[in-house]
Amino acid sequence: MKIKTLEEILKKKSSKTEFAILTNLENGDSEIYLPGTSPKGEFSKYADEIENFFKSKKNGVIENSEIFVETYIKPIKVIIVGAVHIAQYLVDFAKSLNFEISIIDPRGYFASEQRFPEIKVINKWPKEAFEEIETNSSTALIALTHDPKIDDPALQYALKNKFYYIGALGSKKTHENRCQRLAEAGFNNDEINSIHGPIGIKLGGKSAPEIALSIIAQLVSETYKK
Amino acid sequence: MKNSFDEKILDEAKDWIKANQKVVLATVIQTWGSSPRQVGSRMIVNEKGDFSGSVSGGCVESAVVSECLSLIKDNKPCKKIEFKVSNESAWEVGLACGGEIAVYIEQIH
Repeated sequence: MKIKTLEEILKKKSSKTEFAILTNLENGDSEIYLPGTSPKGEFSKYADEIENFFKSKKNGVIENSEIFVETYIKPIKVIIVGAVHIAQYLVDFAKSLNFEISIIDPRGYFASEQRFPEIKVINKWPKEAFEEIETNSSTALIALTHDPKIDDPALQYALKNKFYYIGALGSKKTHENRCQRLAEAGFNNDEINSIHGPIGIKLGGKSAPEIALSIIAQLVSETYKK
Repeated sequence: MKNSFDEKILDEAKDWIKANQKVVLATVIQTWGSSPRQVGSRMIVNEKGDFSGSVSGGCVESAVVSECLSLIKDNKPCKKIEFKVSNESAWEVGLACGGEIAVYIEQIH
């Protein structure tokens, strides 16, 4: 690989642009490919195969060839409601797992940049905050305030927009009450049961980093079930 | 999740090159059976044999380092290496997990 190619890769990575590295394993030639464009030179006859690697989000050697394709796909968007202590640990875990985190919290003293450097923190109520974030069925929601007036609107938004993972912090009792409020708001049982509450896998831990670990473990597990 | 935009090995490769080190990049390009690291996993090696990252769970790293050192010594651009459980030097470099992997090594120049 040429140093120039490496520098280009690092640039694409830091701007979070989707791309692939194409390598000819026979002679070591490598090139950067952007999805939707035509691959150059010796790689041009494999255009369909390369595009398929993007679709399947996989890496590998193209069959009956000596061409290796490595794709860089956009990270999964995770929205955290509540700029609380657990969120700080979640941000740390998420960094190495290719999740892109945004945090919503209307309470200014929580949602400070100093507490969350390099993270998009939206200091607004969920309803207004969601106008600033593009979401779809590949988005995840983690509700951490266990305050109905902040969590509930976010949970309702996530249910309506069919987020693939929705989790809410709180005890069994808190969650029961939450389910009841959602039922009163018109959500059906399937929708309500799709919420992971109390959030996280059972680890037995009680500290903020332990809870964050149990939440991120559940999120990874649900991401692979997608 | 694989291929994180935050994956740091390539950034580290750049730092090593800036420090005037010779760098070989090793990438897992194929796997068969139960291999610990997925396709696209990376490791870098310099001319002193220092390395960072991984291509297996510790099974073949030492063999990859010596292959990378030979690549630098012979000044070759690249090489494909396959590791199988039935390797003759199984004690040294075989995959204890029973899988097989192909690793591609290339000089960054």
